[in-house]
Amino acid sequence: MTGGRNRRPLTGWAFLAPYAVAVALLVALPALLNVGYAFTDHTGLTRDPRFVGLANVRRLLDDPFLLDSLRASLLHVALAVPVRLLAAVGLALLLAAPRPGGRWFRVAVYLPTVVPDVALAVLFLWVLNPLYGPLNQLLGLFGHPGFTWLADPTTARLAVVLMLAFPIGEGFVVVLAARRLLDGRLYEAAALEGCGPFGQLRRLTLPLLAPVLVLLAVRDTILTLQVNFVPAYVLTDGRPANATLYLPVYIFDQAFEFSGFAYGALISMVLMAVTGVIITGLLLMVRRWRVLR
Amino acid sequence: MIRGPGGHRFGDVRLSGRATIPRIIGRFVVPALFAALFAAPLWFMVVGSLRPAGLPPPRTLEVLPPEPTLAAYARLPELIPLFRYLANSALVVALAVPLTVAVASLTGFGLRLLTPTARRRVVLGLLAVLLVPVTAVWATRFELFRLAGVVDTYLPLLAPAALAGSPFLVLLYAWSFGGVPDSQLWAARLEGAGWLTVWRRVALPQVRPATLAVAVLAFTFHWANFIDPLLYLQSGDRYTYPLGLQFLRLLNPTDWPLLMAGSVVATVPCVLVFLLAQRVLLNDDPLAALRSGGRR
Repeated sequence: MTGGRNRRPLTGWAFLAPYAVAVALLVALPALLNVGYAFTDHTGLTRDPRFVGLANVRRLLDDPFLLDSLRASLLHVALAVPVRLLAAVGLALLLAAPRPGGRWFRVAVYLPTVVPDVALAVLFLWVLNPLYGPLNQLLGLFGHPGFTWLADPTTARLAVVLMLAFPIGEGFVVVLAARRLLDGRLYEAAALEGCGPFGQLRRLTLPLLAPVLVLLAVRDTILTLQVNFVPAYVLTDGRPANATLYLPVYIFDQAFEFSGFAYGALISMVLMAVTGVIITGLLLMVRRWRVLR
Repeated sequence: MIRGPGGHRFGDVRLSGRATIPRIIGRFVVPALFAALFAAPLWFMVVGSLRPAGLPPPRTLEVLPPEPTLAAYARLPELIPLFRYLANSALVVALAVPLTVAVASLTGFGLRLLTPTARRRVVLGLLAVLLVPVTAVWATRFELFRLAGVVDTYLPLLAPAALAGSPFLVLLYAWSFGGVPDSQLWAARLEGAGWLTVWRRVALPQVRPATLAVAVLAFTFHWANFIDPLLYLQSGDRYTYPLGLQFLRLLNPTDWPLLMAGSVVATVPCVLVFLLAQRVLLNDDPLAALRSGGRR
């Protein structure tokens, strides 16, 4: 074996090949196929889709369900992403410092993340049950009559956000690790300058963690756009009044329930566009704040 | 009060000697409250599963079950083919977890070998690909698998495994392999080992804790996978357990002890497996634990 140092980059690429092939076949190709199928009349049942031009686009522009679906998805992202980020970052910073038994606090916070999402959704059906559910009983302790959670559009949306505020383990672990990498001497210097815990948080921790936080926000936006399928499917099935008919639910309905495969492909493109716009907006905002240099 | 080994890195040097009340509240009481909040849903799951069937609604919050009984668990196998579903899930997990670990570790090692510039480019490319939400490629991915004639087999359920489960797992391996010194890799190369041997014999043994963590996270992911079985499995005798749980919910939408018992059965394997890996993942110093055996 000769030329070791020259071959090294090539070797790295070779190790990436299986993943690259999987991404190409299972992500990139289907994403491109969406574009092709969106202009056909494919139902998902037959094997011979025909080209129908802009028929699906015309249907899209005149679809009140799609508007409901877009509104549900956007509201959900606007609520769920900040809540999940705040929980993950706040808890990670609160629990990062070593202390006796510290790991078990972190274990408790991580536990809901390892609960299978169907089980978590079924559990929340119980927790949110207006008659039996622990949440209304808890509100009852404070003299509040409770809500009919999943029967009302507003509380149904909040209920899904509430459920998704628990499985935050991935971001939690990432922030724990990132916090650990920060230089302790900075904190010693800040403490000597009379900078209290909140000053340290605002002047040191958050600015230093900014790149990680931006990455997490982007990742969580994408994740939030997709993981709301299971809660919506199990808890509400898109009801009440389409309040939780998130885009993934609508795509699922069209592509797999109503034989509207081609139309589903077009809505998938809408979902990708929405993802792209939100993330671009996020990055532009971040640039304006100059947290990333 | 005992201070952790890395205490100085958190800048509390000046306060270390004093155990004042606000300090205890900040360090223990507030974290304990949040820990209780996050453990509460699981507690309600267990308590709910132990309620006798047909009891009237509780008048106040039940922190302990009134007359605990395991009756709901005994009724589970009578209503659904419980053991068949669990065996199917176990089979999927047994195939998918090794594949996930293999893809994640190969990719992580590949990232380790790239030059820093190339690595940054790959990570950016990766992020661009990940902008595509999985839900946006459901329909067309299904079409590909349908054309390949493998719908209603377990093959499509391995698709997420071929994608390393989540980029987070690739990242875990990339972090961990970063701790394997170049000199060792080159020493092995000079002795004539191929790169695959270097990966298997030199790099992987040094990141066993990372492998444990990735395997555990892959287990929880594949065990819990609901969407792919929902799309691809059609014959009832091939259902995995999450589908079975959904089936149970449709059959008995208001039998809460039964549904909670079903949820506990779905959750227990994940919790047990996770407890194996918490020492690594949630260590005071997770990055060191991933590389060093996690014994701090």
